[in-house]
Amino acid sequence: MTQLEQLLGVLVDADVQFIIVGGVAARAHGSSRITDDLDVSYARDRANLDRIVSALAPFSPYLRGAPPGLPFDWSAATLRAGLNFTLTTTIGAIDFLGEITGGGGYGELLPHAISITVFGRDVLLLDLPWLIRVKRAAGRPKDLEVIAELEALKEEIDSAE
Amino acid sequence: MIDIRRSGELISRARTYAQLSQAELAAKAGTSQPSIARLEQPGSNPTISTLVRSAAAAGYAITVQLIPLAPSDPVVELYKRDVDRTLLRENLRKSYEDRLSSLGEWQESMREIALATRKRTVKP
Repeated sequence: MTQLEQLLGVLVDADVQFIIVGGVAARAHGSSRITDDLDVSYARDRANLDRIVSALAPFSPYLRGAPPGLPFDWSAATLRAGLNFTLTTTIGAIDFLGEITGGGGYGELLPHAISITVFGRDVLLLDLPWLIRVKRAAGRPKDLEVIAELEALKEEIDSAE
Repeated sequence: MIDIRRSGELISRARTYAQLSQAELAAKAGTSQPSIARLEQPGSNPTISTLVRSAAAAGYAITVQLIPLAPSDPVVELYKRDVDRTLLRENLRKSYEDRLSSLGEWQESMREIALATRKRTVKP
């Protein structure tokens, strides 16, 4: 089982409300790029924060890039106090995004998510037009090549329909 | 919001929101489970009346909206010329699961290569 499969399984099995965005979403839509982390938009209600904390606690979540030994309290209070978290865990890197430029939070992205079944579980995935939209809105030069590939992908899909 | 050319996804989404199986939605819509499965397939081309009837069976109405097309970015257009579309077409033939499985396998391989490279470059 790959780390990606484990990460998705842990979140789904804990009933965490999340939408896959970023590179993994791009890959699911057909991108040929490889990404090292799983980006998810997550619901910020108390119950969901509790579920996230419980789900990942066994996998030693820690702030990615932070010096070893830095105190980090993995708790719902910490998640509530912040918004976007880039984490390492023993089953892979995961970014919890409370808000995305051009897309907003989980509730705003939900109408633009599609349900797919992978590794025997149903997960939500940001749809391709909105993935392109949020990449464009981010305005980062490093995303320009990614946007080009996603737009090419959309053209391929549209021309096949 | 869903591109009207991918309208089958609307039904999949409505069914998910309503927490119905394909068979349950089919019963409510007066059709068969395979028909719903076909409707939800990427590339399906249902009539508007089929879409409206199926969405209503899940408890949803469908509205249509005109939105302006996003202007193209000249830099993105330049990058687009170099996109290897053969890889994209290959990926599009795969299922979502196969696309993510291959990503997971690539990630594992890259980690092994990085580890081997680090070992090789560490001085004894």
